[in-house]
Amino acid sequence: METKEFTPLEFPRILLYIVDNTDQAIFTPAIQFCKLFKSQLFVLFVLEEHRISKLASITHENIESIKKRIEEEGWEMLYLVEDEAVESGVRTSLHMENGQVPRVVKKYLENYKINLMLVRKREETKKIFVSANVPVIGL
Amino acid sequence: MEMSATEKLEAIKELVEFMVGKNIARNREQLFEALAKRENLESTGIGDGIAIPHARTDSVDDLVLVFARSSTGIDFSSIDGKPSHIIFLIASPENKKSEYIIALAKLSRLLRKLPVREQLKNASNPQEVLNIIKNNEE
Repeated sequence: METKEFTPLEFPRILLYIVDNTDQAIFTPAIQFCKLFKSQLFVLFVLEEHRISKLASITHENIESIKKRIEEEGWEMLYLVEDEAVESGVRTSLHMENGQVPRVVKKYLENYKINLMLVRKREETKKIFVSANVPVIGL
Repeated sequence: MEMSATEKLEAIKELVEFMVGKNIARNREQLFEALAKRENLESTGIGDGIAIPHARTDSVDDLVLVFARSSTGIDFSSIDGKPSHIIFLIASPENKKSEYIIALAKLSRLLRKLPVREQLKNASNPQEVLNIIKNNEE
């Protein structure tokens, strides 16, 4: 009888990309996933200029105040993930970046040698599923 | 305060001693453990010469912010590999999670601005530090 050697899956570095505060729903599963695989969790929030400009044109709000609000919300999300991750004993690394999501994500996947990416399933994250060169799990 | 430590846990110890000495915190072991636990799981060095060690712990009664500088720089294992010259320690009681997260977020946003970092490096007294934060927050 033929026997096959079982190789357990390993994901030392996992990237969680967050878009806004609705992503809080995936924080716990993402952290539990990292705990299960003993992974380090990289959390990324991207400040997108075009998203800010789009919001400004819709709301007629000042670009700077929108930028300030979105950046603060982003940091809040990052620290909320971190707080929960620390409680679970999961190593984290928080990142706030300016730029276009596909480019920033690509840079992070390469620079930090990410093995797996977690995102919340939504319209805005579809392009990540297509362009990422690592497995992506939609939560 | 000007710091003499060059390594992160040593720096945290120095900050904790300062807080206990000023009666800002009660239990030095509890505070140190809470801060060190976080440092061991991640780097609070956010890059650009900034570190924000932080923790929720009941060794403080209210949200506390301590500002310190290091002219030689402290190795906080920052994401950009650079030593930290400006250190903000944030501690809050366990039940003030919301204020704590908001304070961390506001401070992190402010410290990404180069002019703010430069002003903080040159501030000559605590009131000036508070004014820099207040003026740039508006």
